[in-house]
Amino acid sequence: MEPAKMASPKSAPKDAQVMAQILKDMGITEYEPRVINQMLEFTYRYVTTILEDAKIYSSHAKKSNVDADDVRLAIQCRTDQSFTSPPPRDFLLDIARQKNQTPLPLIKPYSGPRLPPDRYCLTAPNYRLKSLQKKVSSSAGRITVPRLSVGAVSSRPSTPTLGTPAAQTVSVSAKVGTPVSLAGQRFTVQIPSSQAAVKSATPTTPTVQNVLINPSLIGPKNILITTNMVSSQNPSNESNPLKRKHEDDDDYDNL
Amino acid sequence: DRQTLVAVLQFLRRSNLRESEEILRREARLLGDDLGAAALSPAGAGLLGAPGGDADAAGGEALLSRVTTAAATAIGGSAATVASSSPGVAAVTAVPPGKVGGGVAVEDQPDVSAVLSAYNQQGDPTLYEEYYSGLKHFIECSLDCHRAELSQLFYPLFVHMYLELVYNQHESEAKSFFERFHGDQECYYQDDLRVLSSLTKKEHMKGNETMLDFRTSKFVLRISRDSYQLLKRHLQEKQNNQIWNIVQEHLYIDIFDGMPRSKQQIDAMVGSLAGEAKREANKAKVFFGLLKEPEFDVPLDDEDEEGENEEGKPKKKKPKKDSGGSKSKKQDPNAPPQNRIPLPELKDSDKLDKVMNMKEAARRVRLGPECLPSICFYTFLNAYQGLTAVDITDDSSMIVGGFADSTVRVWSVTPKKLRSVKTAADLSLIDKESDDVLERIMDEKTASELKILYGHSGPVYGTSFSPDRNYLLSCSEDGTVRLWSLQTFTCLVGYKGHNYPVWDTQFSPYGYYFVSGGHDRVARLWATDHYQPLRIFAGHLADVTCTRFHPNSNYIATGSADRTVRLWDVLNGNCVRIFTGHKGPIHSLAFSPNGRFLATGATDGRVLLWDIGHGLMVGELKGHTDTVYALRFSRDGEILASGSMDNTVRLWDAVKAFEDLETDDFTTATGHINLPENSQDLLLGTYMTKSTPVIHLHFTRRNLLLAAGAYSSQ
Repeated sequence: MEPAKMASPKSAPKDAQVMAQILKDMGITEYEPRVINQMLEFTYRYVTTILEDAKIYSSHAKKSNVDADDVRLAIQCRTDQSFTSPPPRDFLLDIARQKNQTPLPLIKPYSGPRLPPDRYCLTAPNYRLKSLQKKVSSSAGRITVPRLSVGAVSSRPSTPTLGTPAAQTVSVSAKVGTPVSLAGQRFTVQIPSSQAAVKSATPTTPTVQNVLINPSLIGPKNILITTNMVSSQNPSNESNPLKRKHEDDDDYDNL
Repeated sequence: DRQTLVAVLQFLRRSNLRESEEILRREARLLGDDLGAAALSPAGAGLLGAPGGDADAAGGEALLSRVTTAAATAIGGSAATVASSSPGVAAVTAVPPGKVGGGVAVEDQPDVSAVLSAYNQQGDPTLYEEYYSGLKHFIECSLDCHRAELSQLFYPLFVHMYLELVYNQHESEAKSFFERFHGDQECYYQDDLRVLSSLTKKEHMKGNETMLDFRTSKFVLRISRDSYQLLKRHLQEKQNNQIWNIVQEHLYIDIFDGMPRSKQQIDAMVGSLAGEAKREANKAKVFFGLLKEPEFDVPLDDEDEEGENEEGKPKKKKPKKDSGGSKSKKQDPNAPPQNRIPLPELKDSDKLDKVMNMKEAARRVRLGPECLPSICFYTFLNAYQGLTAVDITDDSSMIVGGFADSTVRVWSVTPKKLRSVKTAADLSLIDKESDDVLERIMDEKTASELKILYGHSGPVYGTSFSPDRNYLLSCSEDGTVRLWSLQTFTCLVGYKGHNYPVWDTQFSPYGYYFVSGGHDRVARLWATDHYQPLRIFAGHLADVTCTRFHPNSNYIATGSADRTVRLWDVLNGNCVRIFTGHKGPIHSLAFSPNGRFLATGATDGRVLLWDIGHGLMVGELKGHTDTVYALRFSRDGEILASGSMDNTVRLWDAVKAFEDLETDDFTTATGHINLPENSQDLLLGTYMTKSTPVIHLHFTRRNLLLAAGAYSSQ
């Protein structure tokens, strides 16, 4: 930006002139004109904060006037809070000595991407998809339709931007304990551990759309389910399956 | 303050000043039995000239000043007795045991150098001006050959005496002292003096760690024996005792036998905040050789032997290698053992990379004074002064820019676009057995030339690609160093350790390790799989502004705002070299490819060349008029390129600068060398940009020079 254009002396207020002089004394010759405004604002805010603190301290000490000691105390407290400075040299030398004594750790071969433990990485997904609507019941059993693709919710350093619940083909070789019941038009798929829940769900909506079950393979194995991930949720959710509903907090326990 | 008075009374009693003690005790109305019980707290060390306003006794102040003058004259005599009577004077790091002449009687204390320095006072504050002008007069009247060396005393004495006055709250004396003498100092200390002029009260010093460190550390001066004898004889005369005490307190005089140095020689080496380097500081053995490259079969073109023979040799590689495939198997004595520090093993992809490297090296252009490199400049437009860091991969395929708006942007320099790995959903669809699976995992739909990485919360001041091009590091004003994956273009780790702005970071040449340096005056060595640093390199007096690995990854060079460059050993964290000579904060460092030399650039516009093995300055390249922000040696070390804020790139002849070095024993003993004034001869070319400061330089594998900077319209 252009070098400083000093406001002409008769139009700049005295504070601005003083600030410009301070900048000049500290050797800063080129600065944008708004720097003076910013510095003045900072000065005003800082001094006001200090004086207010000093007033509090002085009234706490039951003095009638604010004196230099109060101001000194206020400055000291504020400095420790907002303007921290780096640790002193002897402290740094001390911790350096400690740290440098441990030998360098050996490097394990064949360990893939060398990253710290997952706790210290930023690779975990920072969102969770909402599980199925709780309309079925609050019992533990419900359709736990496999929500995300296999291996998605992992902490591998692959992209965390996964799990867009697009239509997926999931082949589940579910050990269906109970046989599939094809009840007329509507059918339900029972995946182990959910029984009653499913049945009560059926009256409302077809819980699972587009379920193709090869009629000849009604067996405990090889059930091919093509399911739209959002189908089991409210229709309003279909538009934005990633939107979390905060009211269903206990859904998250099931992860 | 009560403790202070008690301490004073103790001291007086110990120095057998009974009368004063009685008077003081009566004035302060202290009872005798209090004294026995009162233990000396660390803060209550013997005080002379107590801060004027603090004495709560009414007449205490006047009395204490009387005591001061009385005690001052008694110091010389009683120094010996006090020294012997003060039990267990702790070996405080920055405060030498022999400084009892300053009148401090200490009981067994832990490291309280900072606190003790508060109570050290040599002589009478009002007489400081007399001392200084007396010394000035003496030095100016001394012989010419000694005057240059003795003039080195002016600056440190001036600063220490001024800080002494400020710390002990003699504000008016401090101001008049400053007024009178600040004009006499050398021009290159002007920045420091400006900072000093704003420090007028003790409270001002509290936030300024650099000045506090300066006060408690000793300024190193290198003076020849003759000049030193002269000085000592003068100062040990009776009336100059005070200043002799001050000199002993604050200065460390490193004596060498030899000719006194000329002003020119001295000017080349001084300038740092801590004086010059002691000779012992530069005596440790440094393994500057290169590590042996592993040998493996290079798929044939011709000249594979030349490529394979990259073992560390102290001399530079001769241009036309006598083919005969002589692989010298003997270990370079200057190279570190292969397993001195643990290094990651080579993966297959690394080996392929090396093969590519060798192939490119075979087609490399031989540079020299007759064959200058072409320079290709990458200008960042519309950065509005926000470009703060640039890095280019070793194979010159990607360029990254760190910006003041806290973004990191990666561009592809080649026509090949940047692709990230597909999402897990898509990955499950591909055929994992196909031959080109590595291509199939890449997502073509989101390929682009530019990828923006968000994550930092402050301007990004340093960026570094990993040698295998899988990772990118960036460090920022928010105090963190972030590791980004270049496969997925997401952030993997944030390394938190510096709690203050981090100014520079760099990956090691073998990957896995990286170094960072910041405002907290330390540099840290990290490994990508440890969330805490492995080594902490502490010792600089001011911010660490630039950090670089040596080509053999065993040493780290750090440049700092205290105008020194230090070389640290990765194995044990020791500082093995200190290089002084710059007159401003150092902003660029470059190791020569053979590992023997280091080039440094600073805000003073000079580029200095250092021999690492001997620890000497071997060259000075003058020419730039503004800060040198970029330095790079060509791939075989024949040309040194420097880029600066004055919108130019300059090329220097490195071969000529490093040949014929006189490094005999005499030179290494004295620690300085006669620098020839040959900057003009070494300058091979100056190339001007159109108002674009140069902040990064990079030689491609074929010795094409790439430069980067942001266009600024003024």
